[in-house]
Amino acid sequence: MSAAAMPMSCPTTAELIAAVQRADSSQGLLLATQALAACPDPAAASTLVEVLGFNNPGAAVAAVDGLIGLGPGAVDALLQLDPENYGARAWAVRALAGIGDVRGLELLVDALGTDVAASVRRAAAKGLGALRLGDLEPARQAAIQARCLDALLAATADGEWVVRYAVAVGLEGLAKASPLDPAAHGALKAGLQRLQVVSAENPPVVQLRAQLALDHLSPP
Amino acid sequence: MADADASPPQAGEPISEQEALGRLRQTSDPSQQYYGAWWLGRMRSQHPEAVPLLQGALRLRRPRDTGAGVEENAVARNAARALGKLAPAALCAIPDLLDTLEDPDDGLREAAARALGELQAPEAVAALCRRLSSGPEVAGGQRGDSPRLVEPCEALLEALGDIGVATPEVLAVVEPFTTHSRPIIRSAAARTLLQLSGDARWSAVLVELLDHPQLQVRRAALMDLGAAGWRPALEPIGRTLAENSLKLMALRGLVEQGKGDPGIPQLLACMDSLL
Repeated sequence: MSAAAMPMSCPTTAELIAAVQRADSSQGLLLATQALAACPDPAAASTLVEVLGFNNPGAAVAAVDGLIGLGPGAVDALLQLDPENYGARAWAVRALAGIGDVRGLELLVDALGTDVAASVRRAAAKGLGALRLGDLEPARQAAIQARCLDALLAATADGEWVVRYAVAVGLEGLAKASPLDPAAHGALKAGLQRLQVVSAENPPVVQLRAQLALDHLSPP
Repeated sequence: MADADASPPQAGEPISEQEALGRLRQTSDPSQQYYGAWWLGRMRSQHPEAVPLLQGALRLRRPRDTGAGVEENAVARNAARALGKLAPAALCAIPDLLDTLEDPDDGLREAAARALGELQAPEAVAALCRRLSSGPEVAGGQRGDSPRLVEPCEALLEALGDIGVATPEVLAVVEPFTTHSRPIIRSAAARTLLQLSGDARWSAVLVELLDHPQLQVRRAALMDLGAAGWRPALEPIGRTLAENSLKLMALRGLVEQGKGDPGIPQLLACMDSLL
């Protein structure tokens, strides 16, 4: 909800949180979540994370948007999520992939390698190519890059085309974000070349995306 | 739209091709046959025994027995679906599928029609048209005993589009279904006419259905625009209220089936944003 659509006196974060907790219908929860998600206050994060577990896809989409908008301020709340709550975890992967904070690394690696839903693996693959490494010292940067690269290369063999497509996007993002050492660059390129292979099991759209990534790849 | 129940009844442990062939070959447990048939299609088995076994399974008929784990004719239905995925080896099974298109079970006719479409069998065009020729009021009328239609119209229409024989006779059979009372059938008819004629007025029907209040209809229109590869629909597909997974499938269709503008870089950029 835009600020213009809110009542004259702008509600406080606490009021917006209370409205989410008070919502007693699917539509009510959606509207209250949208209002809270538009609020740039990190105090909203834990309530938005709670909404991810409510089994209400519309509200979860709004909550993910709000969490991505909060950026690094939302990461702690996302990582405190109960790992047994599968539905909430799937949405959290999308939020962490969108935020790009390195604290989400382990969850993204685990999701890409093991999640049963292709939609979650696909979000994780894109996220692993979009972590923000700029402020880290070089050794830590290289270690995280290596983890991302290993996870993405393993997923070039994923059985779902849409995940392999996202892996091509992730590998391209990883190469663009910061320079890789020659060995890593070679391995990344070989991974993209595997995704470019013409075969009955590998649809043209994946081949085309891998080709585009290879075209964008700068020399090591 | 895809089959409603094309996945196995119980996923179970991964099995080998030999195991799948064995499950289909035995006759004491229909649920194992059902799984074996599904497996051979899903894995696109090229084993020389796969098509003959599936042809045999296509003839299996069962009385309705709600106590059994597998419902009426489910094994034959899965056999038809699997044959649709096994071109070119399954082209020899087209006559069997044409026979199945005359079965009294409309669910089986539906599976046979989809398989004939996937095999792009021009031999099937006359039979598909004959099933539809009584039009939206009769072939497309609702049955007295269930919400289902007299004929599996969606599958019959889409098979004609996939086969791609664009004669005036075929177009004349399909066109009346663009005014069917059910939006899913209108979507299927518009998709087929768009595939056969490339005429933009049919794309307008599909784009309008992307705004339909029912999610199920929006999903169908997405899949149908994808199947037709209608690239000018990129922008409306992007803003449709539906899961990104379905939009990605539709956009894959635009990339792979379509031509012209918007071009591949724009299509891929939109797909990237939906991951």
